[in-house]
Amino acid sequence: MIPLSHFMLISAGLFCIGLFAVLTRRNAIQVLIGIEFMINAAVLNFVAFGKYDKISGGGQMFALFAIVLAAAGVAVALAIILNVYKYFKSIDPSKTNTLKD
Amino acid sequence: MEGINFTENRSLVALLAAILPLFSFVFILSSKKGGGASVALSTITLSFLLSMYLFLQIWNLEPEHKQISWFIIGNVQFYAGVLLNNLSVLMMVLVTGISVLVHIYSREYMKNDPNIHRYWAYLGLFCFSMLGLVISDSLLLIYLFWELVGFSSYLLIGFWFSKHTASQAAKKAFIMNRIGDLGFLTGIMIIYTKFQTLDLHSLFGEGGLISTSTFESNFWISGSQQMPAIWLSIAGFAFFLGAMAKSAQFPLHTWLPDAMEGPTSVSSLIHAATMVAAGVFLIARIYPVFDPLVLDVMVWIGAFTAFMAATIALTQNDIKRILAYSTISQLGFMVMALGIGAYSESIFHLTTHAFFKCLLFLAAGSVIHQLHHYCVRNSHDFDYQDIRLMGGLRKRMPIAFWGMCIASAALVGLPLTSGFLSKDSILISAFEWAAAREGIFIVLPWLMVLTSWLTAFYIFRLIFKVFFSESREIKTDKMMQISDSPGQMTYVLLILSFFCTFIVFSVNPATFEASWLWKGFQVTSIKEISIFHWLAPLILNLGAFALILITYSIYVPGREPKLMQDTWLYRISNREWFFNEIYNFVLIRSIEKLSLLTYGFDRIIIDGIVNRMAALTQTISVISDWFDRKIIDGLVNSTGSLSRYIGRFFRNFQSGRLQHYLTTMLLVVLSFFILSYLI
Repeated sequence: MIPLSHFMLISAGLFCIGLFAVLTRRNAIQVLIGIEFMINAAVLNFVAFGKYDKISGGGQMFALFAIVLAAAGVAVALAIILNVYKYFKSIDPSKTNTLKD
Repeated sequence: MEGINFTENRSLVALLAAILPLFSFVFILSSKKGGGASVALSTITLSFLLSMYLFLQIWNLEPEHKQISWFIIGNVQFYAGVLLNNLSVLMMVLVTGISVLVHIYSREYMKNDPNIHRYWAYLGLFCFSMLGLVISDSLLLIYLFWELVGFSSYLLIGFWFSKHTASQAAKKAFIMNRIGDLGFLTGIMIIYTKFQTLDLHSLFGEGGLISTSTFESNFWISGSQQMPAIWLSIAGFAFFLGAMAKSAQFPLHTWLPDAMEGPTSVSSLIHAATMVAAGVFLIARIYPVFDPLVLDVMVWIGAFTAFMAATIALTQNDIKRILAYSTISQLGFMVMALGIGAYSESIFHLTTHAFFKCLLFLAAGSVIHQLHHYCVRNSHDFDYQDIRLMGGLRKRMPIAFWGMCIASAALVGLPLTSGFLSKDSILISAFEWAAAREGIFIVLPWLMVLTSWLTAFYIFRLIFKVFFSESREIKTDKMMQISDSPGQMTYVLLILSFFCTFIVFSVNPATFEASWLWKGFQVTSIKEISIFHWLAPLILNLGAFALILITYSIYVPGREPKLMQDTWLYRISNREWFFNEIYNFVLIRSIEKLSLLTYGFDRIIIDGIVNRMAALTQTISVISDWFDRKIIDGLVNSTGSLSRYIGRFFRNFQSGRLQHYLTTMLLVVLSFFILSYLI
């Protein structure tokens, strides 16, 4: 039996990798990948905590929902990235700084 | 003043007579240089004729008093007008008459002077102010003209202002007169405070305010007004001070001898015959204001002045200075006479004195004029006013000599002259006054007799030195060059000589009571004692004749007598009783010391305070400047820059880059967790 803490550590590692990618990548696609990492770290936690709800399997249910939502989010994000690219001719997030002022 | 009827409007005539010389003054000053003689002479002659007309109209008849409203202060109305009575018409004739003669004389005497037009203009100004003075009916107007007279006298004394002594003398005369003016002004203020009017007629006339005011337990009451009785005496003293300065009475007499720096014709007109008499005139005009105390002071000051000036005149060597001191002495006589109540005698003497003193000066001027011409012709330089250097002119200048003799006889009071009448009348009054008072007062008439004897000595010393024996400077063969002055000057001497005789003033040469002039002012205040009426002239004349003989024996033989030259008496007399030195030492030095002291006070204390204040203010300013700049501005600026720095700091977060925002959010969340963990 794999103890819960291992799941948690993996999940934390995944989250940190994702966070690092989100904060440092110069490519919007890679940032999106980082976001996926973080969502999957959460999904992994849902599944791990599902051990405490064996009868109705709530953890699994939430994991499925989260995967669907993530997929939908990715679709929207990709659309945005496409538009950003059209507008700025670049998908480097550090170049799109028109949010200031 | 309705209707211009010439015979009715005598005050207009008087006004015209006074204004004419002013017109001459303005006209000559505004016209070109070098002329003016004819304008001046014609206006003054016209003025004289008008005065004569007025004299005939008013003398011993009804006085004339016309006035118009001048200005209003508060509720008090001031009037300006003309008051013509015996006194003023007499003075008008005297002033204009002598002016005419002096004008004629000056045409020759002042010929070739480069600034002659100024001379004529100033004479016009003087005549105007003098006439204004005698006809004014208000103390304020009299004061105005009084000042103008002083000013024109100043201009004429300093006529040759390029000469240092002349300008100094002019200043001295002006300043001395200012002291008197101060007194006059004080008197006016007291009278005004008391009566709220300065009108001569309502103040001093018959039943006027002064004579109706009464005394009650040391209070001077007039109507509802009352003030301490002492103020009447103070007012009297104040007016007398003014008269003292103008009439050169001790101790304010020292300006008159110095005033001889002016042209001789000016000395004759102003400083012998008319202006100096203004003081006496003022006393006579406001006579009721003087109370017994002031009158007594007047007596002694007049007597002392007369005596002192006579002793000084004994040893002077400048011909004009002798005459100046003789003038002071005679003015002393007049003031003394007013003091003892001999009003008419004083005015009588004023009139006769005006003529004979004018003649003395003009004759002396004639001598000076001729000697000056002699000096110029022969390029022979000597002091042509020094009687020690003159001599032997009797044969060469007979008219000047005889004119001088007649005038001197009148001055001494020898019989058949006008001076005999007037001077003896004063002496007789003095004897009568002393007899009425008794005690120490008996000194007074004898002092006056002594003064008269001294007069005989000094004036005949002058005549014998100038006209007899030999000149020390001019060789006998050159004496032929000197002769009497040209026509006009000599005629004037002749006319004046006539006016020095008794016939002009009285048909009877022996008694002054027969004189029309004396009768014109007669007031009976002193008890007549008939013995004096023949004794006093007798004593006087015997003494005078004896002294003239002595003088003759001393001075005519030609050797310069060493008469008491080393005694202190001689020195006191010759140095004019050291008055100039005493004034210099006591007044001028002390005023200089005081000035130095106040200067020091000013510089050290006042300037010190001012400078300290300035320095203090400067320091305070520097501090407040620093405070303003560092603290107030610093606060404002630091607030500004603080918000700028804060703004700058927070701007950094608004980079517009998504990842920075996320990093910030991460840091915030992390620090929140770290904080909550630590706490």
